[in-house]
Amino acid sequence: METDADNKSYALVEVIDGGPLKVTGHIILKDSKKDISDSPDEVYLCRCGRSCNKPYCDESHKH
Amino acid sequence: MEKGKNTFTGGRRYRNNDITVYWKPDACVHASYCYRELIEVFDPGRRPWVDMNGSTTDRIIEVVNMCPTEALTWKWNDDEKNKEISPDQTNHVIFRRPELLTENEKVFEKNPVSVKIMMDGPIVIKGDFNFQYSGNNKEMKDGIISICRCGASNQMPFCDGTHRKIGFEDK
Repeated sequence: METDADNKSYALVEVIDGGPLKVTGHIILKDSKKDISDSPDEVYLCRCGRSCNKPYCDESHKH
Repeated sequence: MEKGKNTFTGGRRYRNNDITVYWKPDACVHASYCYRELIEVFDPGRRPWVDMNGSTTDRIIEVVNMCPTEALTWKWNDDEKNKEISPDQTNHVIFRRPELLTENEKVFEKNPVSVKIMMDGPIVIKGDFNFQYSGNNKEMKDGIISICRCGASNQMPFCDGTHRKIGFEDK
């Protein structure tokens, strides 16, 4: 029998208009170039290509 | 903007160069193996109560494995090493005792969502997740999406390969 838990998503991927990609929930974040392997509860990832702290957003998109 | 580096849902985490130890206070029944065995690392009277520099990695793993409730669990920071764990490592995160898992955690074990940053390319997300963009809301089941990271795609928010044309480099 399927339970509610079987059907529920445990991560939320949200494209913020004019801003970064927000990812929350049970995730594994990997970036081989930056040697990152982490499981943050919440992360904002750069989508504009201008962040000085890639893959993370540093709000450069606002400038 | 990275948040929650030392916390995760339901607890805190502590790292040394080799391993990460997870602590879930709600699961602790105060069996007290940790501080009776290794007060140098696990000292309830100190803040923070876990000092990962207090002993060797081997000894910390040994004592975390004694925790009867999995209030304390651990994993290697090098994910390659997490793939081969012997059954005596009872409190390694992938050797969770089934009887102690909640329904939510069972789903967690089953459906980890992979967020992979491709070298000089897009963000590739795989698994079961809720995806929201431009007013759309999609339940992804075993789904895969590729999100533009160079800022120049003609199919925003998705990657269309433009990063190659413009020579996007993640420095």
